[in-house]
Amino acid sequence: MIDLTSPYLWYISRATGSVSLVLLTLVVVLGILIANRVGGKAVGRFEISELHRMVSMSAVIFIALHVVATVIDSYVPTGLISSVVPMSSSFRRIPVAVGAVALDLLIAVWVTSLVQEKMRNVTWRLIHWLSYPMYAAAVLHGFLTGSDSHQRWWLLLTGISCLVFLGALTWRWWQRPSRADGRTALSPLPGSGLSTQSTRRARQVDRPVPGRKRY
Amino acid sequence: MNSRILPRVLAGPGLLDRRPLTYAQHETNFASSFRTTNLLQELEKSGLTGRGGAAFPTYRKAQLIADQHSRVKYVVVNAMEGEPAAHKDHTLLATNPHLVLDGAAALATAVGARLVSVCIPREAAATINHVERAIHERQRRSNTGPKFEVQTPPGRYVAGEESALVHWLDDNETLPQFRVVRPHVLRIGRHPVLVDNAETHAHIGLIQRYGGDWFRDLGTADATGSTLVSVSGAIRNPAVLEVALGTPLHHILETAGADTSPQAILLGGYGGTWLHGDHVNTPYDNASLAKFGASVGAGVIMVLPKQGCGITETLRITKWMANESARQCGPCAFGLPAMAEDLAHISAASRDAVAAIQRLYGRGQAIEGRGACRHPDGVVRLVRSAFEVFQPDINRHAKGQACAAAATSRYAPVPQLASESDLVWE
Amino acid sequence: MKKRNELLQLRVNPILCDGFGHCAELAPDLVILDEWGYPIFPDGPFSPGEKERIRSAHLAIRGCPRQALVLERLSVDTK
Repeated sequence: MIDLTSPYLWYISRATGSVSLVLLTLVVVLGILIANRVGGKAVGRFEISELHRMVSMSAVIFIALHVVATVIDSYVPTGLISSVVPMSSSFRRIPVAVGAVALDLLIAVWVTSLVQEKMRNVTWRLIHWLSYPMYAAAVLHGFLTGSDSHQRWWLLLTGISCLVFLGALTWRWWQRPSRADGRTALSPLPGSGLSTQSTRRARQVDRPVPGRKRY
Repeated sequence: MNSRILPRVLAGPGLLDRRPLTYAQHETNFASSFRTTNLLQELEKSGLTGRGGAAFPTYRKAQLIADQHSRVKYVVVNAMEGEPAAHKDHTLLATNPHLVLDGAAALATAVGARLVSVCIPREAAATINHVERAIHERQRRSNTGPKFEVQTPPGRYVAGEESALVHWLDDNETLPQFRVVRPHVLRIGRHPVLVDNAETHAHIGLIQRYGGDWFRDLGTADATGSTLVSVSGAIRNPAVLEVALGTPLHHILETAGADTSPQAILLGGYGGTWLHGDHVNTPYDNASLAKFGASVGAGVIMVLPKQGCGITETLRITKWMANESARQCGPCAFGLPAMAEDLAHISAASRDAVAAIQRLYGRGQAIEGRGACRHPDGVVRLVRSAFEVFQPDINRHAKGQACAAAATSRYAPVPQLASESDLVWE
Repeated sequence: MKKRNELLQLRVNPILCDGFGHCAELAPDLVILDEWGYPIFPDGPFSPGEKERIRSAHLAIRGCPRQALVLERLSVDTK
């Protein structure tokens, strides 16, 4: 690796790490707002969607900076491989591994979103759900890496981010839309009481009757 | 077999004996030394159209599959009969199952399929029994020809829709599929599937033996052959009859023993059309019925007597149809219960009745054509025809004067829901 | 090869559609929502010459969270 031992690389690595966490929190919250159909009156739903896309781009950039800064800093012997292959770093194996997991998940979510229009929506959605474990891994990585995790400002920052995340998750589950909540300010007529009752999508998955013989 | 006598597909001792014919009886019953070698040509000559409701020309559907380049093809016999007011396919399979299987085997050979799936709802234990016995009998006699199997999807209404049925065979869910072009080649995996109604297969079995010209000796020029009808409503015992297409309706009612001067008749199925009782002498074929916006459909003839209430019957049917929605598409999942709610206001002659009538018009227009399948379209058609046929009664209801039968009318055979939790949309 | 007598129509796959409503915001000239939040396309097909509508259509297609929209080409037979 390039023989850079400037402490500034180390500072950049830690700083971009913290900023990435804040951005990731923002991205996940925006994604939750989209899923729960927020908007349509003062703010357009598509605007929240666009914001989600833009902030996620920023998050990816900062995470890239974080990874690059850590990799080229030869004061800390982590190579490029160990940033994506968990458990391959000789230095601080577990914390880096957790970070590698987070990065792998991020790459999966990010790349599939770049080609979203070319793939099956169901597959894209399944992979997008990985954002939640990705966030958890990112927080855990920050905690285990320990460079700043004893500092009060860091604990406060991470603590608030986690609380926001957990709160958003709870709200996501509690206010998950039945298919009734499609209406926005653009729907012309008020719905009648009965038709906006919760009607969860009734999946009629039935097992085949294997006893029916082939002749 | 004389071309001008009825019944044809129901011919034989099966109906009277209440027992399906054995293979030997079947061969004697439909004795013929002739077996056509070009079935598709005979189908074209015959003018046979699908008896499941869509009335699509059978030979065109078969030709589409025959033209597919695939080593593996399937033929499906659709005996799902999801219409509660229809019993013809079950009656047919309880009487002449071998005729249905004959037709399926001939069709499979003609299009290049080697497997025939007979699809029967899993609740219909008796019918499953009849068909399995018949298949056993055939297997014992010969090992050549296409292989038969019985499949038993759950008996939901949409399960009989052909794309939903094929999707179940492919993927285990009775969900109608979004089809961009019609006719569309249905597939299981990559293999093309030809789906036809059980009664259609029975007619194919006859055409194979007696030819297309024999088939069109009955019926009219545009609507050839005979068809099975299920008569219910104002009738002592709901009946299944075989009639020549073009027979006047009142003649069919008379033969079945139903009320011959009804208030109205529901034709086609629960996604069909009401016909006013004044037009009871209309010939029973699509060209004649089209003048009233009606069609033969799945052969359902539900008779509403003068002492019934058309709005209440429409409400009962709409509620049930709303519950049978697969709920994949918003307009159907929400629109149908909303229409049922409006109908409830009108049926009860409540204060909201006038507003409900206005809403119904708008909703019908909004819902039509916006689902993946024709389920919501059928309900819209039913409600629209109810508005035409029962106009005077609706006006009275709107003024708060419900008719005497409004609360109690129960002529349409609508299945009872086993429990409140079955009513998924309330 | 662009055919001259070809029309375009924005269509939704009603099974994939989950009533998010982004399309009505992004393409108000092509889409309105029914009382339950699902899209209706009140106008019929439009000609490929209407660039504004094509732009709206593409915005709506890209913005749909369920990728349920598609711009269909319909060929029109000339008599």
